[in-house]
Amino acid sequence: MSAAPGRPSGDGPRWEVFKQDAAGKPHQAVGSVHAADAEHALLMARSVHARRPAAVSLWVAPADAVLSVTAEQLAAAGDEGAAPAHGDTEGAPQRYLVFRKSSHRRAITFVDHVGEVTAVGPWAALRAAIVAFPEPPALAWWIVPSERVSASPDYEAAAWFEPARAKTYKQQSAYGTTAPTRRRRQG
Amino acid sequence: MADLGAESPERLAAFEARIAAGEKIEPGDWMPEAYRHQLVRMISQHAHSEVVGMLPEGAWIPRAPSLRRKLILLAKVQDEAGHGQYLYHAAETLGVHRDELIAALLEGRAKYSSVFNYPPLTWADVGMIGWLVDGAAIKNQVMLAQCSYGPYSRAMVRICAEETFHHKQGKEMVLTYARGTAHQRAMAQDALDRWWWPSLMMLGPHDSDSPNTPQLVRWGVKTKTNDQVRQEFVDEHAPELLEVGLEVPDPELRFDPADGHWHHGPIDWDEFWAVVRGDGPLNAERLEARRRAFEEGRWVREAIAAHAARREATA
Repeated sequence: MSAAPGRPSGDGPRWEVFKQDAAGKPHQAVGSVHAADAEHALLMARSVHARRPAAVSLWVAPADAVLSVTAEQLAAAGDEGAAPAHGDTEGAPQRYLVFRKSSHRRAITFVDHVGEVTAVGPWAALRAAIVAFPEPPALAWWIVPSERVSASPDYEAAAWFEPARAKTYKQQSAYGTTAPTRRRRQG
Repeated sequence: MADLGAESPERLAAFEARIAAGEKIEPGDWMPEAYRHQLVRMISQHAHSEVVGMLPEGAWIPRAPSLRRKLILLAKVQDEAGHGQYLYHAAETLGVHRDELIAALLEGRAKYSSVFNYPPLTWADVGMIGWLVDGAAIKNQVMLAQCSYGPYSRAMVRICAEETFHHKQGKEMVLTYARGTAHQRAMAQDALDRWWWPSLMMLGPHDSDSPNTPQLVRWGVKTKTNDQVRQEFVDEHAPELLEVGLEVPDPELRFDPADGHWHHGPIDWDEFWAVVRGDGPLNAERLEARRRAFEEGRWVREAIAAHAARREATA
């Protein structure tokens, strides 16, 4: 199953967007954009998902390249899901990025990048990921072929992400109007 | 992958137990068709409201009285565009396509917030929209951030974090006018006179006329009713408006020390339903502006698609 309907539209197919807030932090799924190709998707992702700090890198991947499986779906698949050939056609081993979500806490992002595995297909990659990244128990997994992921260019990082830091008028702290009543009492 | 199955009392009970336990429902998890249907309805209306909501304020960008105010308003309208994108994304995780939702809006089959069918007539209206309309929207969105459906909840958490500045900048602007010259005070009062009731109405019909609410609350889609959110809005905003010397256009507005709440007079629901049905001051103009924008963007979409196709062919 793909993460979303990916059929082409007037605005192009759907691309999942992953944002990294700082070096050393994981890329996290923040939503999606429609775009004609990867370059366009990165530009859209920058406009939609990086209007404010903090961001240092964006990844995009076509939504139809994402294998998305929840814990509930895994449990329902049971033995069938664990079968070696389930879901995959035989192919050459390739690298898959692994993303997972492990908390029901209030959040602004979905799955986090946790690493990668090499496997002959996305289902085999999922089974490898479950072994490689067991803790804490995952509520949802995303498996994305590495070759389908495009990253924002490093040489653009300053131009893309730094200007947002200077736009302090986008922060509520720029406005001194918390409560007229409180102000009068303080004054 | 095994079929997660059709609806049955057991599945429904397990689903409701997950929600009662505070779990988020994620794309791919089992859900009743009615839950999916209600979410698509709510999220798409919400997305349309963000997009149409750019129009009243966008018209004031060229007429902003200072560069600072222009920067602020540009950023705010840009945020509304982004918020529409977050919400169309959330709707698409439920198996609908953004194109279908936008077509429904352009063809007049979809709803959006009634408040955007009122005209902002002066610069003071821009401040009052930020303070009251965004203030009401934030009350609703803080409630929806608790939603049981993961993608909608996450979009709301993000939108609330960004929109607090919309509310603050509007409030700052109104306070500046309310403490300014007699003419500025009159402008602020005039704006309040026209935006108070539409702001109360935008939080939706009375609970008694909101037949979906009990099920939505049971399923954790909404965690409060329309009247509860409206009460929160009035409790915060009425005393602050009075504090700065403005007169709320409701002769029955009063604070009841017994229950600690501000009570408003009757809302003109005939007006609300007329605007929802399409008979508000600017319904036709709003849809026409969206249709024109869609048509004027057509060559851009075609050019981008042609460029991508050529690049793929020559790769």
